[in-house]
Amino acid sequence: MWGWPLRIKVMKFGGTSVATPEARLLSAMRVISAKEQGFSPLVVVSAIGRKGQPYATDTLISMLRDIDPQVEPDAREMDLLIACGEILSSVIFAHTLKTLGHPAQSFRGGQAGIRTDGVYGNARIVSVHPVSLIKSIERGFIPVLCGFQGVYVPGDGGPGGELTTLGRGGSDTTASAIGAALKADAVEIFTDVDGVKTADPDAVNDAPTLRKVTYDEVAEIAHLGAKVVHPRAAEIAMNYDIPLWVKSTFSDDEGTEIVRREVFPGRRLTGVTHTGKLVYLQFDLTCAPEADRVALESRIFDLMAHYGANLFMLNMSPGGTGFAVPRSQYPNLSSVFDGLVVPINGTVYLIQIGHASRQVETQAGLLEPLGNVQRVRVELTEGCSMVSMIGHEYMQQPGLFRTVLGILHENQISVLQTSDSDFSLSVLVPEADTMRATRLLHDKFQLSAVV
Amino acid sequence: MSGNPPLQVAETAFEKRRGISNVEVRPGYAQVHVSRLPSPVMEGRLRVLGAVADGGISIDFLKLTGSGLSFVVPEDSADLVSQALAQLDIHFTIRANRHILLVHAVNMRDEEGLIARIVLESIASGVRVDHVSDMHDRMLIVVDAEEAAKLKDRIEENLVGVALAH
Repeated sequence: MWGWPLRIKVMKFGGTSVATPEARLLSAMRVISAKEQGFSPLVVVSAIGRKGQPYATDTLISMLRDIDPQVEPDAREMDLLIACGEILSSVIFAHTLKTLGHPAQSFRGGQAGIRTDGVYGNARIVSVHPVSLIKSIERGFIPVLCGFQGVYVPGDGGPGGELTTLGRGGSDTTASAIGAALKADAVEIFTDVDGVKTADPDAVNDAPTLRKVTYDEVAEIAHLGAKVVHPRAAEIAMNYDIPLWVKSTFSDDEGTEIVRREVFPGRRLTGVTHTGKLVYLQFDLTCAPEADRVALESRIFDLMAHYGANLFMLNMSPGGTGFAVPRSQYPNLSSVFDGLVVPINGTVYLIQIGHASRQVETQAGLLEPLGNVQRVRVELTEGCSMVSMIGHEYMQQPGLFRTVLGILHENQISVLQTSDSDFSLSVLVPEADTMRATRLLHDKFQLSAVV
Repeated sequence: MSGNPPLQVAETAFEKRRGISNVEVRPGYAQVHVSRLPSPVMEGRLRVLGAVADGGISIDFLKLTGSGLSFVVPEDSADLVSQALAQLDIHFTIRANRHILLVHAVNMRDEEGLIARIVLESIASGVRVDHVSDMHDRMLIVVDAEEAAKLKDRIEENLVGVALAH
């Protein structure tokens, strides 16, 4: 606890809020306004702009990948490169504040005392020691901190440590963690929408902005695809009881306040989210007797674990097993599984993904003399999305599954798989139907009336 | 800011640790498996879900299978489900005396290979897995009540606190 009554407000600006000089000016004016209201503002910035723009994170990644798409860059090197986006952004934002008469200092994550574990590309914050930020405020500066990054100090104590990045939504996580470490009066996440909405406005253009949501609700929404605030940020804010807001840089809308359930009870239904870029694989194991089926499943999941696959919408039944994987992982997994030969108890199983590839036919030809060869066919759906309904004390409502699957079936949207919890119900649908499925569920459950 | 007391800055620990934090067993469930539904299968599934809903029964952890569907109900609803489905002239089984293992791990879908490792461990335990489902922060595994403790022990012994493959 600090020994003086600092009223710190952490203000995080996303890519679009720092993308252009005009946007940076608007963002900077919000910071100055907070300072004039008696707060000590502390700014956290994302990289400038979004995909396709010169300093956006995706652009930096492409610079490395484009050298030779066949060679996967080292995660450590990638972290060093993509962290440059936030470094540029913080320095430019700090100088913008200076030109407006408010001295500011930029800080890398490591300089701000953010220590992480050693997982490059998806590090977790293990501690924050924000002494340099406090000194900066004490000297009258506005600290402008690079979001999304920290430093890993290995056991052997390498000087300076290793730069790490925090993965998706990392800048939100930085903002919440710094807010918690400094016991901030508030953490405000500025973005290009008015707050947390009942659905993606690209799918439902009149989706209302929720004035209050609970930490649980926002964490669930964020986990299942909403991009306004990252779930890790919500979890940190909840654990440290830090008031969290989501607001628009570009409007004077009051935004969404994220609070504890004791303050606001939450809603039966909060919204519909979607997240995509998945590939669904359904292994048909009916060709194998029980003992062989178990051995085949074991081999499949052993390889999935070995190659570090992220599985979604898992299903195991006597007829087979299925799951979705991120599209980015599919090419690697496909090269492992398609044409894979698994001998079990005198039978040779040949795995075939989708239509038989040349590799599978070659394998089949080579195996033919062995006699007992069984093909394990894998039904492949390459473009899938997960559309989810979020709610509280509603997911156990009798008939909910019938209503959800029924409305989608009536509208010729095929559901490949489902998943549910106390707080959500998700369906896996073809990517082309994502927006339509979101709209249909939003309308069916009258979420436009939710506030 | 002169005259302020000296800085007192302490390190603060933040995010939840990666990997499995807890394995919990919940007793008192039955697993319903409906198969061999005629084509179009989705219409058959909707009839099943309709019959169960009309019986006022809440279901959990629905999974679609090639020729039907599978779900879990509280054990005391099993007779009601049986009565509801008996009217439909379909092939179904209800396995009573099931326990649900809940394997908790924060952001588990983002942890490379973690869900596959849990499934692999379950298969290796020799326990018959009736049903699985995953969420962003937990995975559930439905097993016979007699075997739940064995699987819980195995997962705790082999996966809790074990460094992930990074």
